Amino acid sequence: MTTVHLFYIVYEMLKRDYLGEFEHIVLLAVLRLSKEAYGVTVRREIEAWTGHGVSIGAVYATLDRPEGKGYVQSHAGYPTPERGGRSKRFFNITSKGATGVNRTQRALQSMIKGLDFVARQP
Amino acid sequence: MRSRTPCLRPPLIASWLIGLFTSGAHEDAISGDLLEEFSDLASKSGLPYARRWYWRQSIKTVGNLMGTGLRTAPWLIASTVIGGYLMLQLALGFALPELLIDAVIELRWHHVVPYYTQREMDAYMFWFGTAVMIGYLLVPLFVGCIVATVAKAREMIATVTLSVFLFARTVVAWFNLARHRPELPQLPIMALVGILLVLIGGVMVREVRRVARGRRSNLAAP
Repeated sequence: MTTVHLFYIVYEMLKRDYLGEFEHIVLLAVLRLSKEAYGVTVRREIEAWTGHGVSIGAVYATLDRPEGKGYVQSHAGYPTPERGGRSKRFFNITSKGATGVNRTQRALQSMIKGLDFVARQP
Repeated sequence: MRSRTPCLRPPLIASWLIGLFTSGAHEDAISGDLLEEFSDLASKSGLPYARRWYWRQSIKTVGNLMGTGLRTAPWLIASTVIGGYLMLQLALGFALPELLIDAVIELRWHHVVPYYTQREMDAYMFWFGTAVMIGYLLVPLFVGCIVATVAKAREMIATVTLSVFLFARTVVAWFNLARHRPELPQLPIMALVGILLVLIGGVMVREVRRVARGRRSNLAAP
């Protein structure tokens, strides 16, 4: 791959507004959870699959941008007593969001192709 | 025999802190999510662990919400912070509290000689000095309230940003003074109290709005 190709890929990534790393992870968690995606479950899903602790605030702060872009929709659930009468906010991925996740996934896979991770590890 | 279950209440200050920084649709959701996980952790790992977890989550969440606020409305935050800073500089640079109190005294007792004896003069000077000091403390509180009001739903983000800026400026000024003078100058207590009052102004506006919103939603509920 030449430098020109690399610049082209970066240019394309900027133009098409690819997802950030954590944004990508959060959206994948929402996709995995389907109709059960709200703050607590999304946080636990990320923790279970990545092994890294995430704060509730990080989940909401990260979902703020894709929601503004129409990648994610949210709606309030019913208030429950174990939550002190507070309602849950459920998230779901729109078709635009699913396209965005796929696009980022494909770009990452094509970037990874040909790289020898095992040989480069110290 | 009745079994006694421990009261599963999260740390009050941490909950209050979260409430100060969350806004709109996310306010209920974030507080509810934290409470749900707190109750779950308290039953599994014990109350002290759950309380520590809640504090850690609250601090991280406040940081995340601050970052989101700054990222989503950078111009609003920047303009309110610059406006607040200029207001403070103008009010304190032109000695506005002193001028105002002097003007009020002149207006009220312009035909009376303010003191006759040494004792009366001392009393006059004491009360005048106290009033000026209170005036100087009210200025940052007032500025904090204005900044929070203009920042709309981001009251705390704007006032915290202004406070951090003022604190950094005060610390730099203090270190510069300490470096150029052989004796260490006293800590700028009044400046630090002023910064705290800017924050209190923000908290006041936030709490007033929160109460008003709660009343409105209570009235709207069937």
